[in-house]
Amino acid sequence: MKIIIVTGATRGLGLAVARQCIADGYKVVAVGRTMTEELAFLLQQYSECIDFERYDFSDTEGIHLFAVQITKKYGRPWGLVNNAAIGRDGVLATLHERDIADLIKINIEAPILLTKYILRPMLINRCGRIINVSSIIATSGFNGLSVYGATKAALAGFTKSLAREVGKAGITVNTLAPGYMETDMTSALQGDRLESVRRRSPLGHLATVEDAAYAVSYLLSEQSSRVTGTTITVDAGSSC
Amino acid sequence: MKEKIINIITEIASDSGWEIVANLNDDTVLLESGLDSLGFAILVARLEEELLLDPFTMMDEPVYPRTLGEFVKIYENCSS
Repeated sequence: MKIIIVTGATRGLGLAVARQCIADGYKVVAVGRTMTEELAFLLQQYSECIDFERYDFSDTEGIHLFAVQITKKYGRPWGLVNNAAIGRDGVLATLHERDIADLIKINIEAPILLTKYILRPMLINRCGRIINVSSIIATSGFNGLSVYGATKAALAGFTKSLAREVGKAGITVNTLAPGYMETDMTSALQGDRLESVRRRSPLGHLATVEDAAYAVSYLLSEQSSRVTGTTITVDAGSSC
Repeated sequence: MKEKIINIITEIASDSGWEIVANLNDDTVLLESGLDSLGFAILVARLEEELLLDPFTMMDEPVYPRTLGEFVKIYENCSS
């Protein structure tokens, strides 16, 4: 069974990706800060196909050891889905420096470090899939999400150069850019703002986490072996 | 340690179809040895898996060895 590490897998998109990976026949290492009822249910239903590993990515110093332990426990992974992130809503002029630092640490530094160390067993295997979860905010922008948008643009940039670095080793690196979805992360967008996003979509509705998880499923598959350094946008057309 | 490292370099080169210079020695410049930067990343990954250590991560300051001798020394110091 191929191993897929999904960060931020306790809820929202990460949980949907974990569920899709199980359906696709992978063994999932679901990483998150705290167990949720939904993930516990998934663990109970598919105990052979998924394990939970607790980790808080604000602890960047421990990422190396965490990655080594994961590889030792589960074997060399086939895929890594860098989904864990925090969202802080607020205009830059009044956003606290601590919040800015946390966004940069958890949304950029942590996935880069985790990728650095999970990449190594993939290099030995000469194959693998890395998927960085960005956002359409990285290219479209959104009032009150300047730092969050910057972190997501950083991940997309990271994807492109890393894809060039590791392509010769048979490892693909791609970005998923979901649009607004009804998850805990976009809870600040509920109400009129969410309705306005929904109205602007050519399809008249928002993308779901399941839609985005299908895109991840493709990027993890053998069939995507010639797709690297690119971004798949799943936003029901709202950014077109 | 030196023998182990040279063996792994040879294996990586053979797996990848890269040609390694004859007579690898302490003075061989790493990037002129026949392995490119990706090859060295694979070497560090292999050594970490086999020796359970990555001296470069353990260092307080970044160090980029230029020759095979410098590279071997770093691993010898770290594992002693």
